Amino acid sequence: MKKGEIATGAFCVAFFSFMLIQGFDLLETRRSGEVGSGFWPVMSLIACLGFSIAWLVMTVVESRKTRVEPTAAPTREEAAGAWVRRRTVGLSILCLFLYIVVMPWIGFVLSTFLFVFAFAVSLGERRKLVLSVSPFLVTAMVVAVFAKFITIPFPRGVGVFAAFSRLFYQ
Amino acid sequence: MIDHYLQAFATVLLPQNILAMCLGGLWGLLAGALPGISTSMGIVLLLSFTYSLSPMTAFCLLVAAYCGGITGGSITSILFGIPGEPSSVPTVIEGHSLAKQGRAAYALWTFLICSIYGGIFSVIVMMVATPLIAGFALQFGPPEFFALTVLGLSVVSSLSGKSMVKGFLSCFFGLFLATIGTDGITGGERFTFDTTILLGGISFVVAMVGLLAVSEIFIEAEEPFKEYKGSVGYKSMRDEMPPFSLFKSQWANLIRSPIIGTVVGALPGAGATIAAFLAYGTTARLSKNPEKFGKGAIDGLMSSECANNASTGGSMTILLSLGLPGSNTTAMMIAAFMIHGMQPGPLLLTTRPDIIYGIFVAMLLSNLFLLVLTAFVGIRMFLELNRLPYSIFSAVIMILCVVGAFGLANSTDDLYLMFVFGVVGYVMMKFDIPVAPAILALVLGDMAELALRRSLLLSMGDPTILISRPISIILLLGAVISIVYPLIKKPKILQGA
Repeated sequence: MKKGEIATGAFCVAFFSFMLIQGFDLLETRRSGEVGSGFWPVMSLIACLGFSIAWLVMTVVESRKTRVEPTAAPTREEAAGAWVRRRTVGLSILCLFLYIVVMPWIGFVLSTFLFVFAFAVSLGERRKLVLSVSPFLVTAMVVAVFAKFITIPFPRGVGVFAAFSRLFYQ
Repeated sequence: MIDHYLQAFATVLLPQNILAMCLGGLWGLLAGALPGISTSMGIVLLLSFTYSLSPMTAFCLLVAAYCGGITGGSITSILFGIPGEPSSVPTVIEGHSLAKQGRAAYALWTFLICSIYGGIFSVIVMMVATPLIAGFALQFGPPEFFALTVLGLSVVSSLSGKSMVKGFLSCFFGLFLATIGTDGITGGERFTFDTTILLGGISFVVAMVGLLAVSEIFIEAEEPFKEYKGSVGYKSMRDEMPPFSLFKSQWANLIRSPIIGTVVGALPGAGATIAAFLAYGTTARLSKNPEKFGKGAIDGLMSSECANNASTGGSMTILLSLGLPGSNTTAMMIAAFMIHGMQPGPLLLTTRPDIIYGIFVAMLLSNLFLLVLTAFVGIRMFLELNRLPYSIFSAVIMILCVVGAFGLANSTDDLYLMFVFGVVGYVMMKFDIPVAPAILALVLGDMAELALRRSLLLSMGDPTILISRPISIILLLGAVISIVYPLIKKPKILQGA
């Protein structure tokens, strides 16, 4: 966990440094009384960078302290559990990303149907009844409420998918 | 003013608004009670339903959900011994103890009556205080508004949890995010990298949905929550009602606790949790039988429930009169105002009194509806919904997030932004970086920057304008105390990385 925190801290330092360099381009000479559009973002970024560096240093110091006082290595079960957790989260993130990417292509109805199924599976759902009924029910309710009643113009998709979407909403 | 109230009652009592309050109240109850959803998240998820509603109907829905959310957390506290909201912890201690003694209905009725009473008390205070504070705030100029936003941001120290470094990092990150897009004064582009996605800036609603709701689903994915198990025996609310003599004997408690709740709720960053604990602790200290606390002390239950619901009126007072969000939940309310083209603050009382007085009346009526909704519908509905598979429940929540983000501008670009913020929020939560300061800063950042730049324009670049006016000095002093006091009290929290 500490390695991940150190890596994230280092990423934050790099990210805010990069943004700060971009921000300096916004600083320009102004008339009297004006601070320019770069002042506030540069101040914020300097603070972000400072606190990121502080976090990184504190994490490294903490990590060195725990190295001096070694804790017990994780057991096989704990390591397996951690891997399962990471896989579950990774799959759920991937499901959401794919849902967003394919929605403009295959339309809201089909993408939502597939998403419900895939997301439930990624969270460990294995009951066949739940996996077969829920996508239909959830998609129907969401389309009824948001597409029909509230009339949000969801993406219809392209080609045959657009024609399919028009069966449910215009 | 009476005309405004009469008009407000006439508007709020329209059938669509009554329906909105009932549905919002039920949703709030469930959001507060069900695992994996908080009151703030419940409000965020409701935003997507408000796009096509009239402003008054939308606010009826949202304020009812806010009141319901604070109330709903106590249902699981009493029946399962698990707090649905952090403010419900004293309710777990006393209410669940009573339920284990076979008095679940007694505890539920007591919590319900005290919650509604506390809520109504604070709404009445809100009705009186909001116009007074708003009238005072109309004297504010840019320096005062800058000082006010600094005070609002200073609460980051109380939202930071264990580490102030991480809290301030989150806060300044939010301030930076607020600068992305087009500069409000010069019209120049900032950090857009020539993309259209970022040209309009980061939508606060999209960022909020991602940072708060989507990231929470990812966190829950690590340990998918099974339904609550092991409730104490509960059959019906009709089993046992508390007698009137109970409330009569607790008259001092019933006056003290809602006052504590309303005042604490009005403090930015304080909110229902601190209100509940403070009232509970005060009652325990003043009790003639302090040894009964922790074993089902009914006065402890009454005080915490009065106070946590009373905090809603206090928070809304500050939001409506000053435009300051004191907590995550009231920050969500700002999004609702923005969706309907309004900016909460002192001017809104004069430009849209129908909305402000309508919100007062809606909160009053919502509390009354909640009494019936909770007793006869909410608890039973929660027990049934608790049996839904969590995997499907999570999928539904995620779809609501997607709909909420998409519906804002009917753009898939916002979905990508929501996804990015969801991942960022997940990483922040994994490393104990609080998300609340970032959201608060994203809301207040624009306001703070514009106020500062206008102040400096007025003074031809002289920064002493910020400390030359009495109101801004007082507000800035308050901000400094708010930041420095926790540092003096607990210097070790700086080392929480």
